Amino acid sequence: MDFILHVPVIGLLLQFIGYLLSVMATNGSLIITLSTPIALGALCGFMNERSGVVNIGIEGMMLFAAFVGWYVAALVNGGAPSNPGPMGITLPLLVGLLAAIAAGVAVSALHAWLSISVRANQIISGTIINIEALAITGYLNLLISQNPIPSAGNFQSFVVPHAAASVPILGWLLTTFLAHGPITLTMLVLVIVLQVLLFRSRWGLRTRAVGEHPRAAETLGIDVIRLRYRNVLLGGVLAGLGGAWFTLEYIGTFQGGMTGGRGYIALAALIFGRWTPIGAFGAALVFGIADTLGQAVSFNPPTGDLGAVLSGVPEQVFSALPYLVTIIVLAGVVGRSIPPAADGQPYEREAKAT
Amino acid sequence: MRKHRYALGATFASLAIVLLAACQGNTGSSGSQSGGATSNLKIGLVTDVGTLDDHNFNQYSWEGAKAGAQAVGAAAPHSVVTTQSADYAKNINSFVSKNYNIIVTVGFALGSDTTKAAKANPNIKFIGVDQGICVDANGNPDSTFACKGDAATLLPNYQGLVFKEQQPGYLAGVVAASISKSGHIAAIGGTATVPAVPNYMIGYLNGAKSVKSDIKVELKYVSAAPDAKAFNDPAGGKAAADQLLSQNPDIDVLFQVAGKTGNGVLQSACDHNIHAIGVDVDQWVSTPDTKACTVVSAEKKLTKAVSDAIQRVNDKKDKGGTITLDITTDSVGLSPFHDSQSMITPDIQAKIDAAVKGLKDGTIKACVETPFGSCDNKNGQPPA
Repeated sequence: MDFILHVPVIGLLLQFIGYLLSVMATNGSLIITLSTPIALGALCGFMNERSGVVNIGIEGMMLFAAFVGWYVAALVNGGAPSNPGPMGITLPLLVGLLAAIAAGVAVSALHAWLSISVRANQIISGTIINIEALAITGYLNLLISQNPIPSAGNFQSFVVPHAAASVPILGWLLTTFLAHGPITLTMLVLVIVLQVLLFRSRWGLRTRAVGEHPRAAETLGIDVIRLRYRNVLLGGVLAGLGGAWFTLEYIGTFQGGMTGGRGYIALAALIFGRWTPIGAFGAALVFGIADTLGQAVSFNPPTGDLGAVLSGVPEQVFSALPYLVTIIVLAGVVGRSIPPAADGQPYEREAKAT
Repeated sequence: MRKHRYALGATFASLAIVLLAACQGNTGSSGSQSGGATSNLKIGLVTDVGTLDDHNFNQYSWEGAKAGAQAVGAAAPHSVVTTQSADYAKNINSFVSKNYNIIVTVGFALGSDTTKAAKANPNIKFIGVDQGICVDANGNPDSTFACKGDAATLLPNYQGLVFKEQQPGYLAGVVAASISKSGHIAAIGGTATVPAVPNYMIGYLNGAKSVKSDIKVELKYVSAAPDAKAFNDPAGGKAAADQLLSQNPDIDVLFQVAGKTGNGVLQSACDHNIHAIGVDVDQWVSTPDTKACTVVSAEKKLTKAVSDAIQRVNDKKDKGGTITLDITTDSVGLSPFHDSQSMITPDIQAKIDAAVKGLKDGTIKACVETPFGSCDNKNGQPPA
């Protein structure tokens, strides 16, 4: 009897898995695209937290970088269309990208100074950055919109040659991972590079040491303050890239609050991914998939029994999917995630003997 | 340590100043008064969730408040930007407590809180954009939508401005079906729970069917609630459109009805080299970055409607109740075609003209209307 009772559920489950796979297959490239700002934000958090600095200001850093990158690119462009190179790369866009990175580093410098030198509460510092970025960029954008300037356009996706793209499986892999703009491709490379560096390089060892036990690291001659500064500023580069993704790659124009909470999701992805670059990227993919699945159910609902079941589920449940995943992850259902031991603790050198 | 503490204090102080400056700046730079007329009216505006720089709904209502203030010779209006829907009442009361004379609230979602504020403050004039006033016999907001009370007598200080979005939506559908080569078009809306959105979309469906009865029309919504995802997330809107287009590659006209989220929909249409139709304002002008693919926009003349309502208050000619603005007064309609004029053949133009004429003299209905002027619909789909 038990067996018979469970068959429909198993059938539905299999149908659901099949549907999920088909959604992922059709939207592979979109899922990677959607996970880009989350992954870059999480990598920024990774650089900070692995060396012992909590950063919840990623959202604000990305928003500020998005605005600066867009505005600088538009200014350099000056309304004159430039001849785009491969992937739509133009000089104004490259200058805008550098400006976005500089903006990310500048905001990170403020965070580094407050949390490392001043030893202020790092949560407060991050909160200030989030609130301030929303207000300042919104205000400046309102000023600019009185007298709008045309944007410099945006980076285009790499086009996989048709011959390669039509090969079964391989073609799908190529389009999923390569049919992207330069910022997304950079993110994919950075995930691997940072993962290797963290566990295989001197810098990685020192960073982990400083994040776990800064006092011990200092006794071995590592300059804790300097390493933390350097990592937080490098994190700013990543947040700057994440911001540039919005205005220079995916959308091509700036709108107030356009990061839409992805900087916060990035924090959850960092924890879900257990403070490693590969893990954070995997978590970002989960968020991308949840988002795509929710939209797919409302756009192209599955047929058959599964369709009947899913159409009975209120739409709101699917809209809530990414956030439910976040809560499940934060509650530690999927394995306990342990932060670096010195995360969030300002470091004070021992007083010199007089 | 002490030095650091001072440094921290200085940082916070300077941040506070920057924030204050930003807030002050929001109160508008158009302080100039028009010649002659002066007025002591203090005008405040509360936005829906979003920003004043949305190139769309909030921004053009705000332009209307500024234009109205200028027309009557009042000081430049002040604004409060709502960041979450829980703050509607609080934001309205921030103006009430400072004795403002006119409070403009922008968006369907603020209707209930505006009704309460209008009842509690009979001496303050309220103007609600996209708000059909529905009250019970005591003048309280009626969540059952029986609307037994007469808003005009119970709340004479509250003008609710409602647009028949289905009419410009219908015209957009006529254009879309006429320029579509594949016979498959789509509309992406923010959420079906804000009546203006399905009004536009059902009008669009009916307009398209009037041109080509066998046309395939997708009506899709990005969110189930009037939240930031529905109206305030361009990246999410672009992703939704990308997903719809990857599943239906033959769609060749995309109508956006999702505010800032929809600006991402326009971007997606441009990237896919298909035609887009803008919403609420002339998006060829308001979002120039996507003008290359924006054929036309389904407009409601927000700026004029808000400005007119403010002038009625100043002239003491204002009456309470819901004011329905439609195509007979040219309060809604299509924007100019700008660069796409060449696509509009005399034949297509004749269809548009016929539709405008029919909507104006009542021989064409953009949709089956409820007694309150909205489209009769369930979950944003027209009744079967």
